[in-house]
Amino acid sequence: MSTVAPEVTAPSAEDQKISPAELKKRAKAEKQARRAAQKDQKPEDEAQSAEPQSAAATAPGVNGEMKAHETPASALQQQQPKAEKPQKAQPPKLSKQGSQEAEPHHKRTGSQAQQMPLRRRPSQTGPPTKVAPKKESKQVELFSHLYTQPRRHTIEGVSKDVHPAVLALGFQISSYEICGSSARCVAMLLAFEEAIQDYTTPAGASLARHLTAHYLSPQIEFLKSCRSISESMGNAIRWLKKLIVEIDPSTPEQEAKDELCERIEVFIRERITITDQAIAASASNQIKNGSVVLTYAKSSIVEKTILEAHAKGTKFRVIVVDSRPLFEGKQLATSLMHAGLEIEYLPFSAISHAVKQATVVLLGAHSMLSNGRLQSRIGTASVAMQAAKRDIPVIVCCESVKFSGKVALDSIVLNEIAPAEELLLPTRSTPSKPAPKDGDEEAEAKPKALSDWKEIPRLQLLNLMYDVTPAEYIRMVICEYGSLPPSSVPVVHRLANEGM
Amino acid sequence: MPAATVGQTPSLSTFVKSLKTNSIESSIELLASLLKRRQIKNSRQCALATAQLLLRVVAAERIKDPQKLIDRIRDVGRRLVAAQPREMAVGNIVRRILGVVREVIESQAGDDGSGSSAPSTPTSPAHRQSKRPMISHSFSSFTPLSHSAAMPYDMHPRPGTPMDSSASTVDGMADLAAPRRPGLASSASYASTAPQNASLLSFLEHPLGRSPAGTPPSRNSPRMTPVQSSTELNKEKIDIKAEVIDGIKELLDELEVVDTQIAESALDHIHSNETILTTTSSQTVQKFLSTAARKRKFTVIHAEAYPNDHEITHATILNGGKKSSGEDEEADERWKPLTALGITVILIPDTAVFALMSRINKVILAPHTVLANGSLLAAAGASTIALAAQAHHVPVVVLSGVYKLSPVYPFDTQELIEYGDPGKVVPFEEGDFMSKIDVQNPLYDFVDAELVSLYVTNLGGCAPSFLYRIVADHYRVEDTDLSAKTG
Repeated sequence: MSTVAPEVTAPSAEDQKISPAELKKRAKAEKQARRAAQKDQKPEDEAQSAEPQSAAATAPGVNGEMKAHETPASALQQQQPKAEKPQKAQPPKLSKQGSQEAEPHHKRTGSQAQQMPLRRRPSQTGPPTKVAPKKESKQVELFSHLYTQPRRHTIEGVSKDVHPAVLALGFQISSYEICGSSARCVAMLLAFEEAIQDYTTPAGASLARHLTAHYLSPQIEFLKSCRSISESMGNAIRWLKKLIVEIDPSTPEQEAKDELCERIEVFIRERITITDQAIAASASNQIKNGSVVLTYAKSSIVEKTILEAHAKGTKFRVIVVDSRPLFEGKQLATSLMHAGLEIEYLPFSAISHAVKQATVVLLGAHSMLSNGRLQSRIGTASVAMQAAKRDIPVIVCCESVKFSGKVALDSIVLNEIAPAEELLLPTRSTPSKPAPKDGDEEAEAKPKALSDWKEIPRLQLLNLMYDVTPAEYIRMVICEYGSLPPSSVPVVHRLANEGM
Repeated sequence: MPAATVGQTPSLSTFVKSLKTNSIESSIELLASLLKRRQIKNSRQCALATAQLLLRVVAAERIKDPQKLIDRIRDVGRRLVAAQPREMAVGNIVRRILGVVREVIESQAGDDGSGSSAPSTPTSPAHRQSKRPMISHSFSSFTPLSHSAAMPYDMHPRPGTPMDSSASTVDGMADLAAPRRPGLASSASYASTAPQNASLLSFLEHPLGRSPAGTPPSRNSPRMTPVQSSTELNKEKIDIKAEVIDGIKELLDELEVVDTQIAESALDHIHSNETILTTTSSQTVQKFLSTAARKRKFTVIHAEAYPNDHEITHATILNGGKKSSGEDEEADERWKPLTALGITVILIPDTAVFALMSRINKVILAPHTVLANGSLLAAAGASTIALAAQAHHVPVVVLSGVYKLSPVYPFDTQELIEYGDPGKVVPFEEGDFMSKIDVQNPLYDFVDAELVSLYVTNLGGCAPSFLYRIVADHYRVEDTDLSAKTG
């Protein structure tokens, strides 16, 4: 998407006979001048800033001034990554839709430019020096590369091209209603199937060329804006794109669409559904009579494995370790409970006690990285570490669709940051709140609650989604190609995801 | 405030208040039940409560035979320990006080010359000194202990110091092997070390003045006072009771200042721009960090210790803390949260510890109990943190007052672990879940000694492998097993 951005801005800049970079530079210089010489010089500034706008011949002097003021201000005051990302991400979409949500950075037509300052004025024209210190970044610096725009929960500003099925899916994903790498992948493919059926190739374009670039891309972009896509989704998208390109242009449209949908169905079945069964069958052999299976959080494939072993009549016990804030393990424990298994449920802090009893650790995966490391729900690495220290075999169950070509040494470069608000404790903190209010004598010294964290300077909350488990903690990876050591992951990845 | 004691839920402060009015027997009962019900928990509170109670016990006792006093304290101690065997601080304090009593008795016996009650042959003061391993000098002079330096007898006992120094040079190992009672072994060790009297160690000690005061006062003051009284031509038998009470009061003082003492070495351990990981809310750690924050800028990553301590952890991060000893009245000593001191605090769930460990410089833990071999018990999750630190070669620093140090060796670590309310893990409203699934909530983790890089105590820093010496310094072998019947 970032490659498209210059394309869009370039023509508009040409209109103004000034490159965006030049404009930005000029605006910055202006702002510095203004800071130094305050309001007295306002008329002068206006004259200066109006200059670049004169070509466009739409903006009156006042507007020009405000825009020039805005550009550096917004760039400086908003937190850097946040400010930059939307600027890059939005223009292509916006220019197509002709939406009003133009970024001040890209000055184009007069009509947009006029609306912008009017809307922004109240917040932006206030003395910028006052705003700057107040707006302290709540992002953990170490992870600043991971903060993207906040997850989308509303329909506002969504491209009109996004198919309703994808739209619904996006919100389900962002609210964790659909959670887990495989589930998200399957749901996405099903939604795409629906979307493809509703697609019509515009006149003068071929399906193979148009579908990916102009129809699927906005869908994918939308899903990304809801929550970063998982490795399996990425693999599936890559596969789908390749499939579309390979379609013979001479095939009639309906036929091509039907074929695509059928291939998607087959993909889901072969790569996920049946694969899961195969893995469950193979992994359940690792559970023997008297075993104590330790698992962390919730993985659908581990759940299947355990149920499969239970169905075989093996007598064993399950320890589910769970963690805040998602409490996925609770769902797993509940479903296993209904199946009639003997379950122990422990909080994350109790791992050292859990591993004492365990005889085998079964883990699910978000993705298997090419250097043999496992990327999975945050906390998995600790569980694997504790188990490995006690020489308890750690077995990862993972479909090959989740194998990735990426490599990572730590959990910091590749990761996803979930909204920090998820860490707040809604239920427990509310009853404690009224209590301090009773003793109203010291109103100012009222203890702060965690929900006020944004107002407390230098306090940051970090809510990571994944961590990376070193390969040496993993005894075995079970995928549909068989059981392998973590070092064989890249081989299977090439075979399964690239060789096809 | 009698109304407060009625209305409040029982806690340390209500207990201390009630001590003044209640009879000894009912106070003992009360503390035992408070311990049982976990209404007094945390090492510090248990230690304070125990010391306060024993102070009362000793004060009320009419001492004819000192051995009776020892038996009495042992008896009370046994009841308290039986009430809550996993709160080792209780037993530790009982042992420390027993040590004080024994010290007083023995020194008295020594000063009497013929030793009316002492079972041993006539012992010179040097003998008595030598049977206490004094290796701790090296670090005791390292921690300035302001409060005991201000003691009146501080300047007095110049005649005593040479004896001290002779003691300080005693070969530690020989001494350890020797029985703690005055006897042949101690005189042997005295003989072997006597020529070293004028050694460098003794030279070093003089200018520092009463450096043994750096070690806990409970151990030193009784030793020093007899010397003082002997200079006053031992008018009469020393008032054992007064000595013991003094000793206990000094122990209470020590409990009071232990955090400050530990915090004094903060700057020796934290450098600029560090990233420090800590977990749960510990008064000691908070004080340590805020002392360092006055001079250095660093980042604190705080794991919240869900599900048992996360609320208090959040409260500490947000609002700072206050000294837990005098919860509501007693103009409590509050301190600001670290964020107010210019420190960036990042709150993370416990799960993120491994992910972040590669960027952390130092892990600072506060133990619940430290065991004699250098391993420790700490809030659940500590084992994961320590293991992750080891996997990333990050040093683990444990801040612990000496009162948390217990002479217990971990033979069965599982029995040391206490289990808490499973309702904190899953609320009891989810009845179906709770009834069919075994929900557990262990409160503590056992962390092996090899995972700890350094202990910082109120006596200074030391390696985990050295802790057994501090144990030997502070507890008498006779008292290690409180339940045993001894003469």
